[in-house]
Amino acid sequence: MADATFLALSVLTIGSAIAALELRSLIYASIALMVTLGGVAGFFLLLDSPFVAMFQLAVYVGSIAVLILFTVMLVRRELIFTKIEDPRRRYAGVGLMLIIMLGIGAVIINSGLNTITTEEPPVDYRDIGKELLLYYWPALILMALILASSVIGALMLARREDVKGEQRTN
Amino acid sequence: MIDFTSTPIILIALIGSVGMLLPVINIIRKDRGSTSFYGAIALVTLIVAAGFIAYQIFTDNVASPAIFSEDVLVDDTFGSFFAIVVLIVAILTVVGSFSYMRNQSYPAVYFSLILLSSIGMILVAYSTDLVMLLVAWELMSIPTYVLAGFMKKNPSSNEAAIKYFLFGALSTAIIVYGISIAYGITGSTNIGEVIVGFASLDASMVPLGLLATALFIAGFGFKMGLVPFHMWLPDAYEGAPPTIAALLAAGTKKVGFAAALRVIVMGTIALNLEWTFALGIIAIMTMTVGNLAAIMQKNLSRMLAYSSIGHAGYILIGLSIAPFSSIGIQGSLFHIFNHAVMKGAAFIAVAAIAITLASTHLDKIKGLGRRMPITSIGLVVSLLALAGVPPLNGFWSKLMLFGSAIDAGSVVAWAPYLAVAGVLNSALSLAYYGWIIRKMYFEGEDEKRVKEPKSIIAVMIFSVIFMVGIGVYPDPFIQFAGTAVPSLNISSMLSP
Repeated sequence: MADATFLALSVLTIGSAIAALELRSLIYASIALMVTLGGVAGFFLLLDSPFVAMFQLAVYVGSIAVLILFTVMLVRRELIFTKIEDPRRRYAGVGLMLIIMLGIGAVIINSGLNTITTEEPPVDYRDIGKELLLYYWPALILMALILASSVIGALMLARREDVKGEQRTN
Repeated sequence: MIDFTSTPIILIALIGSVGMLLPVINIIRKDRGSTSFYGAIALVTLIVAAGFIAYQIFTDNVASPAIFSEDVLVDDTFGSFFAIVVLIVAILTVVGSFSYMRNQSYPAVYFSLILLSSIGMILVAYSTDLVMLLVAWELMSIPTYVLAGFMKKNPSSNEAAIKYFLFGALSTAIIVYGISIAYGITGSTNIGEVIVGFASLDASMVPLGLLATALFIAGFGFKMGLVPFHMWLPDAYEGAPPTIAALLAAGTKKVGFAAALRVIVMGTIALNLEWTFALGIIAIMTMTVGNLAAIMQKNLSRMLAYSSIGHAGYILIGLSIAPFSSIGIQGSLFHIFNHAVMKGAAFIAVAAIAITLASTHLDKIKGLGRRMPITSIGLVVSLLALAGVPPLNGFWSKLMLFGSAIDAGSVVAWAPYLAVAGVLNSALSLAYYGWIIRKMYFEGEDEKRVKEPKSIIAVMIFSVIFMVGIGVYPDPFIQFAGTAVPSLNISSMLSP
């Protein structure tokens, strides 16, 4: 049962990830991205990590993907890029990806990883909280700084210089 | 739990809060602040931070270099060494930016991002936990993606930013994958515990350990500019503002080595691999490709970018022979220290050229020695130091690196070839450095002297004193690098 679920989830996740990259329409692409992120949440559930799965749903599917959808709908969507496509590069990329995937897959399948079985219960939420606040707390502070620097940088990059100050407030 | 008064935590509080406050001050002052106002705040912060680290080192408040710690950060001399290197580079960048950023928009954001990136770099060096390392790595990278594209109207700056961002994101993804495998087979994210776990791995799990190490080499290799992970680097350094190229080449690149030393070198020792030979081959490839490609360049920034790939190869010599020679890592650290200043000074000289001549093409710098004498002297000294000409600082660190390779020859037969390759490459590099010098002093005629940017003159004078000073009297700095060398003995970590 778990195997079938895993396979179905994999096909769904990888398929919609490819769709998110390849679809020309930004709206369809962002919906496909939502499906991918939801599929990842499914993997976390299969791996007995409901806490991470919940966060994946709330943060990625719930807010980030919706935010992307809103952005796509609110801005003008004219094509500003000219598409330059080189089929040879495309096939080379796909081929390289397959080689790397097969290589890593072979290493993982041939290792002792599939012999490990564990009967431990899923991690308690309280333990996660304790670890975050007592052990990983400097990393939490740094994440705040990362968010701040992303916001500062994004605002600078997105600010339009051809619009005067008065127009902006209107 | 790590002490609230330990050096890295105080640095987060100091640099992080000032970095966050700069844009807020900008809003309160309604966009009126000048470049020098925000630059001065950033400069004072960085100098205070460097002074604080120096104070902690001199008062012996810093632990001896360790890979192992029960916490996510460790307040050791290894981290302090890299923190000093990063802060020197950041100070050079900020001072150089006083002139470069004049009349540009968003100075507050610019300096704020430099501060945030610097604290990220510093913490990568202090990290003893893979999650902490990753978070610090991201804090170092994200501001630099924006900084590389800071000249929004310049297409090559945009290209640099997008290329750098895509490869940066790829390298982070690879590192995360490596961390997940390391966590999966050892059950911990603490680097010390991961390495102890690697050392006692079940035979069927060893391939996964190898895979994780290979992913770490690839992930960190992107930032370090090791061949074959270097292709994004010349475009990014050429397109980014030259002051930011200085920060990238002299700062983020060096920090990659800090991460590599804590994770890759220790991991491979724990896995008991024939890894040194592989690193040696990467070292030779990296320096040869970097120097050969540099000869063919027509643009000063691009040439320096390729030369920094070459220098990553020299630094890697020390890491690849670390288990066989006691001075290998010391040489690497000393070269990291020197290269940060040499390359930083060279890129900031390029910034001065970009401000006054609006181009960094090699044909445009004819007669530069008469037009901009002080910048030219700074550039010449840093180029000669990069080539390793005595009595400049680059000579001593290259001597240590090549000497350690020959020293290791008594244990492994291939090690002296690294020294041979290094010497040949240094000779090769002298060819293109010499070409730049020839263009500046022996070509063109009757150029009039132009006004040189003041803040960049300050950087040049400081760097020349630094490079010549260390060249004449290298002992204290070699010892400083020596105190930062961590013990490579894993059995000592098993019983902390």
